[in-house]
Amino acid sequence: MPAKNLILIEHDRRQIKRPSLHAITAARQLGGDYALLLLGQGLDELAQSLVGYGASTIFVADDPALAEPLADRYAKVIADAFRKSAASALIGTSSTFSKDVLPRAAALLDVPMLTDVIAIEEYEGSLSYRRPISAGSMLATVQLSSERRVLTIRAAAFGAPASDPAVSLVEKLTIDAASLPNGMKFISREERVSDRPDLTEARVVIGGGRPLKDKETFDRLVGGLADLLGGAIGATRAAVDTGLAPNDFQIGQTGKVIAPELYIALGISGAIQHLAGIKDSRVIVAINKDPDAPIFQMATYGLVGDLHQLVPQLIEAVRNA
Amino acid sequence: MDFAWSDQQRELLDAVGRFAREQLDYDVIENDRKATFSHEAWKKCGEFGIQGLLVPTEYGGLGQDPLTTVAVLERLGYACKDNGLLFSINAHMWTAVSPLVNNGTEAQKQKFLPGLCNGTLIGGNAMSEPNSGSDAFALATTATKQGDKYILNGSKIFITNGPVADVLVVFANVDKSRGADGVTAFLVEKGMPGFDPSHKIEKMGVRTSPMSEVFFENCEVPAENLLGKEGGGAFLFTRSLTWERGCILASAVGSMQRLLEKCIRYANERKQGGQSIGKFQQVATKIVEMKLRVESARHMLYHFGWVAGHRKAVYLEAAMTKLHIADAWVKCAEDAIQIHGGYGYMTEYEVERELRDAIGAKLYSGTSEIQRNIIASLIGL
Amino acid sequence: MTQPIAKILVPFKSVPDPYEAAAPGGTGATAKSVINPFDEIAIEEALRIRERGEASEIVGLTIGAPAVDEQVRAALAMGVDRAIRIDDARALDPYAVARILRTVVEKEAPQMVLMGKQAVDDDSNQVGQMLAGLLGWPQATFVSRIEFLEDRICARCTRETDAGLEVVDITLPAVITTDLRLNEPRYVSLPGLMKARKKPIEVLTCAQLGVQVEPQTTTISTARPPKRSAGTRVESVEELVAKLKEEAKVL
Repeated sequence: MPAKNLILIEHDRRQIKRPSLHAITAARQLGGDYALLLLGQGLDELAQSLVGYGASTIFVADDPALAEPLADRYAKVIADAFRKSAASALIGTSSTFSKDVLPRAAALLDVPMLTDVIAIEEYEGSLSYRRPISAGSMLATVQLSSERRVLTIRAAAFGAPASDPAVSLVEKLTIDAASLPNGMKFISREERVSDRPDLTEARVVIGGGRPLKDKETFDRLVGGLADLLGGAIGATRAAVDTGLAPNDFQIGQTGKVIAPELYIALGISGAIQHLAGIKDSRVIVAINKDPDAPIFQMATYGLVGDLHQLVPQLIEAVRNA
Repeated sequence: MDFAWSDQQRELLDAVGRFAREQLDYDVIENDRKATFSHEAWKKCGEFGIQGLLVPTEYGGLGQDPLTTVAVLERLGYACKDNGLLFSINAHMWTAVSPLVNNGTEAQKQKFLPGLCNGTLIGGNAMSEPNSGSDAFALATTATKQGDKYILNGSKIFITNGPVADVLVVFANVDKSRGADGVTAFLVEKGMPGFDPSHKIEKMGVRTSPMSEVFFENCEVPAENLLGKEGGGAFLFTRSLTWERGCILASAVGSMQRLLEKCIRYANERKQGGQSIGKFQQVATKIVEMKLRVESARHMLYHFGWVAGHRKAVYLEAAMTKLHIADAWVKCAEDAIQIHGGYGYMTEYEVERELRDAIGAKLYSGTSEIQRNIIASLIGL
Repeated sequence: MTQPIAKILVPFKSVPDPYEAAAPGGTGATAKSVINPFDEIAIEEALRIRERGEASEIVGLTIGAPAVDEQVRAALAMGVDRAIRIDDARALDPYAVARILRTVVEKEAPQMVLMGKQAVDDDSNQVGQMLAGLLGWPQATFVSRIEFLEDRICARCTRETDAGLEVVDITLPAVITTDLRLNEPRYVSLPGLMKARKKPIEVLTCAQLGVQVEPQTTTISTARPPKRSAGTRVESVEELVAKLKEEAKVL
């Protein structure tokens, strides 16, 4: 069944990554049918969980050769699926996964691509896309002259898709493992298992900057507040660089872009690259010792003072609230 | 007259600005309080190429012309807040490196210049004595030839880089009966017997630049360390001092520019009575005049740089440049404090330090009074 | 005794200086250009690989008008051996760039293409991956560590992903894109700039390369995002918690 849009869904081998479903919302805006694409190994359950989002087809590329997301293999399978689906748009949600494989797939398909689309509009009879540039300090409205296109969209800009009871057919794709590229080999992955919610999905995020001095203090203050509020932990680039937090906590232009209900910035001055990652948060709280810190220009509530004293007080106050 | 920088000059200046911004961005407040000299920053500047700007490439330098050199030093002064470091670098360049380039033997140049260029050696000179400052050539320090050595006796004061210098250009008299014609220059190296540069002098400003009183007690200097010829010291000194006068405040122009921008920012952000203080005429006027001072200082500096590359006799320009920039710097720093009010008086705001650093400019390399005397005589009075 | 890899090609982009653009009280725009910070990291890594004796020649590559020669000289000043500028002043989109780069890669035949993961003006993060796809080469993106395995046929790359760190082995020739924490680039020194003036810059046109591409992306307009207005200052933790609870209703 021809679909106008093919959506790449991301998973972590255990669950579907919910932000990747937001691409469905974008596809619905583009109009026309949409199909979903899942790659990996042992995907029956995950594929079933995608029924209920109104996709015309759920394409499943399930093969041991695809057990790990090696870009050369995945891009080829994605490109093949795109051709097979006869879709005109290939869409994914911005993530390191989609950014790794989709541009390569675009090249294999000989089509242009747009990254981090935050809005789709109409302009003079055709579509225009809005996306951030220069660390989000500007928004560009662009058009593509190609009928076929690849897009990644920002999850927060499109929201979670409402369920749709329309019937989705699950179709297993035939994978010729022998014809897949062999130049890349997966060695290892360092993944932390955490009780805390995913940084890009959490309702509350507590961010820590370099003034937190050491890992122990970072974990105690940022982690303490996060755990009390059931939130996730983020960090500035400076904090990650000095070893206070691991790289996947980084929020900003080249890290993760988040839009929680509540973002509390501890000891963060507000470099433009960091602000790029948080400015769509509903409520921003900033605690910083420097009254002139740029973050106060953006914070809903700003508290000037020494975080080493204020954060323990805040933890107490929240506990009693 | 083409006032534009060439592409090559612009590249140098951009590289300097970025280097200083990223590599020389350390805490100066604490270093200033403790009068700590940053060896690390010195080495970085050497590796970057600052100290060797004017030295011919065959000795490890960059072979740049004087105009480019002063423009680089100005940019450095803008992007690096450590006026003391820059003062030490300038003293090194004009009072030790230049005399070596102009008067050194091939052996001396090969021995000292590469290290003086790349940051591994620190130089300076020693002319002033407790009883002879402005009256430069009335030296009490003597040098007596003994076989293949000179024996130096005496003391020098206000020796910039003294405590950390690897080599000093020391002026001593080989024959007092000849007066100024007996003044002779020697290269005295750290560790030479009888050479004691360790008596540190604490100063009002440019405190991160080390200074000491230096003592020579039967100090033995080998004959091959004679710089120039016997009795040639006065001429050597006058020549190096002229360049020193014209160039030593190049970084100060950059510091003034930085101060000006700081004042403009403050005047816009600080609000009193519901409006920015920059809208008050008394504040605005001070800043406008600061701008004029910075511009005129810069133009005199560049003019000197150009003239020094095109002719030999630049005494008038050197004196005028030094006098004007020194006066401008002190006045800018004073006004900056006034504009910042109480915050200008606080150490933390790094405004008061600029004034303490600037005041020395009216004293070293010839006091402002001496510069006026020179100008007066050179314009025919 | 294994030979060093013969050639690393480092494509880099000239971008508006992000430091100048972010200057407080400014308009956000700047006339000053620099080498894209991520590409600088790639240049630095290539230089370090060469300094370890693991590569022989580092070749820089950029696309742009003659004005970008300033950035080319900066790359040469850092230590790149020679550089190529494709003379093309058009606003190119990532796919057009990738197709032009592909023809240079085919001409130069390097064992590795090392470049920044994204340009800080466009933030697309596509070119490296597209280039790898066009060449049919393995790729490693957002890399924070590169190690050659014994025979230098293979590079072990650590990648920074949303979940943490991942390690992949890729056979050469390959395309690697760099992330922030790979290294801290050396600054351009004045002696480096002097030496750079003697290094060759080869200028080529798309016609000479035999490549004709048109960008397929047009920018209609750019605008500042809606400004988030500054909120209020609170004086105490108690006041903050009260406001979060009652006003923002977020606790």
